[in-house]
Amino acid sequence: MSTYSPRLTRLIDGLRRLPGVGPKSAQRMAFHLLDRDREGAAFLGKTLGEALEGIGRCKTCRMFCEDDACRFCTPARVSAGSICVVEGPADLMAIEASTAYRGRYFVLMGRLSPLDGIGPQELGLDLLSQQLASGEITELIIATNPTVEGEATAYYLAEMARGENVKVTRIAHGVPMGGELEYVDGGTLSHALSGRQPL
Amino acid sequence: MTRARVQLEPGYILNARPYNDTSLLVEAFTREHGRIGFVARGARGPKSKTRALLQPLQPLLLSWTQSGELGGLTAVEAAGPSLPISGERVFYGWYVNELILKLLQRQDPHPSLFETYALTLTQLADSDAERALRIFEKRLLDELGYGLQLPDDLEPELHYQYDWAEGPIPTVQGPSTFLGAHLIALAQETLDSSEAQSHARRLLKAAIQNQLGGKTLETPVMLRQLRSSLRVK
Repeated sequence: MSTYSPRLTRLIDGLRRLPGVGPKSAQRMAFHLLDRDREGAAFLGKTLGEALEGIGRCKTCRMFCEDDACRFCTPARVSAGSICVVEGPADLMAIEASTAYRGRYFVLMGRLSPLDGIGPQELGLDLLSQQLASGEITELIIATNPTVEGEATAYYLAEMARGENVKVTRIAHGVPMGGELEYVDGGTLSHALSGRQPL
Repeated sequence: MTRARVQLEPGYILNARPYNDTSLLVEAFTREHGRIGFVARGARGPKSKTRALLQPLQPLLLSWTQSGELGGLTAVEAAGPSLPISGERVFYGWYVNELILKLLQRQDPHPSLFETYALTLTQLADSDAERALRIFEKRLLDELGYGLQLPDDLEPELHYQYDWAEGPIPTVQGPSTFLGAHLIALAQETLDSSEAQSHARRLLKAAIQNQLGGKTLETPVMLRQLRSSLRVK
């Protein structure tokens, strides 16, 4: 028999769905909401419902968006002519927050991985190839992760773009800023050396 | 249950999947312990030092403790420079990994197959990738105890039908027959011509399908899909 009452059990189980939350933290959160912040709990419940209702996927870039107008697919961004392909929404936010890039994006929501059953359909590659074929795109910037899966994905993205005569670039990978060569792993260092640039 | 501790065992990652918040659930192929499953705690965390190393198709030295079905990774080191497998060749590597994942049992050592696997990966980076894959498939079947029967008295000019119980039986040429010379090339692991490779491929594909017992291999399906979608353009 559960130590909690039925409604409390369901609340704790619900909170445990969040990343990084185990049974102990979930109990703490539940007691906090019920005891000290009932108003906040009501607000959380309401916003969660509204978010589920109102946030969907953009039909062009597959990023989360509200209503039909995606903030990453504005006419100004479209006119820039470039499209940056990332693996997930967090990657998009990272680029947006710390770089000057203001073109369009395409969020794959994963990477090619046959052993996990993730293929071209799951990544929406047909949607991307339609966009490449439309002739509005002048440059495809590939920003998949430097993992084996990310590399294989990048290879196919590049082939797709070449088929449509779109310029393809790949973000550089190498030694991190403020890093020391001594502590950089071998793979990164060999990439950094082979991708060196004239000064 | 006793807790076994393994130190610096040569091995390769076959597949790694996210597990809990910051960990990875890893399947690896090692020399002395065969296929093993272990958890790499904290490998996906922001301060992880092992994440860059825990990549498939790269030679590693793995240390782990084992107390049940799943072990726990304690250390990982690179066992040499990383292999230059890129582009479509990655799919070949995934294919070899998928064969091991679907055909070998956990904790069933296959040291000689491990050496073949290591050699195959180095050859995937060369132009000889097709041949390397066929030889790996042949040796994998041998290792499983279901090796192809390719006797010494095959005649190079004759055509053969391959019977799973009897082996090659001489017959008249047809769409599903194999030329003796190509079977000999497979037996001797030479496979120099592309025709010999395609015959070997047809035979090995059927033999592997028999071993899979209804399971399908995802990698070749996806590779065909991607190739055809690129060709359509």
